[in-house]
Amino acid sequence: MSETLTIAPVTKSVHVGCEIERAFRVFTTEVGTWWPLDTHAIHAGAVREVVWEEHEGGEVYEISNAGEKAHWATVLTWEPPARVVIAWHVSPDTPAPTEVEVRFTADGEGTRVDLEHRNWERAGEAGAGMRDGYDSGWDTVLAPYVTRLE
Amino acid sequence: MDALGDPTRRRILELVRDTGPAAVGALAGHVPVSRPAVSQHLRVLEGAGLVRCTRQGTRHLYSVDPDGLTELRAWLDGFWDDALARYKLAAEGSER
Repeated sequence: MSETLTIAPVTKSVHVGCEIERAFRVFTTEVGTWWPLDTHAIHAGAVREVVWEEHEGGEVYEISNAGEKAHWATVLTWEPPARVVIAWHVSPDTPAPTEVEVRFTADGEGTRVDLEHRNWERAGEAGAGMRDGYDSGWDTVLAPYVTRLE
Repeated sequence: MDALGDPTRRRILELVRDTGPAAVGALAGHVPVSRPAVSQHLRVLEGAGLVRCTRQGTRHLYSVDPDGLTELRAWLDGFWDDALARYKLAAEGSER
């Protein structure tokens, strides 16, 4: 078995009917207003807020109703309102997280948002230690078999 | 799709991936569950499109199904589609 099995980056584009500054702010600082926290959070269904620190090296994390903090990501690039890159840690021990890059471009009356979620191969063995709080979809995505499937 | 939600099942998939085509008996020696349980897990994995079964004579051999990756991709695509649809509504909603 020598076939190469990797997961190509996920790329998405969406057009939103608001100016670029707002598009950027809602995606980042106000992520808690639209992210599906009932299903895709470490304290799924019991998240009080999501904090996005607005600088490179900043942290993105959730705070549960009970006041517990749980890490989501680290900000790698912070270039409002045009671009943001975060290192999405699948586990606190992951040395090489996946990356999500989001680019914002003024487009007519609104803004085009281009997203790329990449480096699945790098999730590494830590994928096996995924928190139980994520729903099965994340479990699927980050299961160890994305790691050495090559 | 939660075929990989079970740690034993993930371990079995890893074994299949690492060893190539493998029979149930060979796999059962590497996990702390009974042979019928291994068979059950393999059926779930097969149902999810993650492994496939071929027959060699009377033996059933299991191997990783590369098409299973297609399903992972489909899940990821769907996740971001849903999330971005919600984002669009939030961004276009009234100013907070």
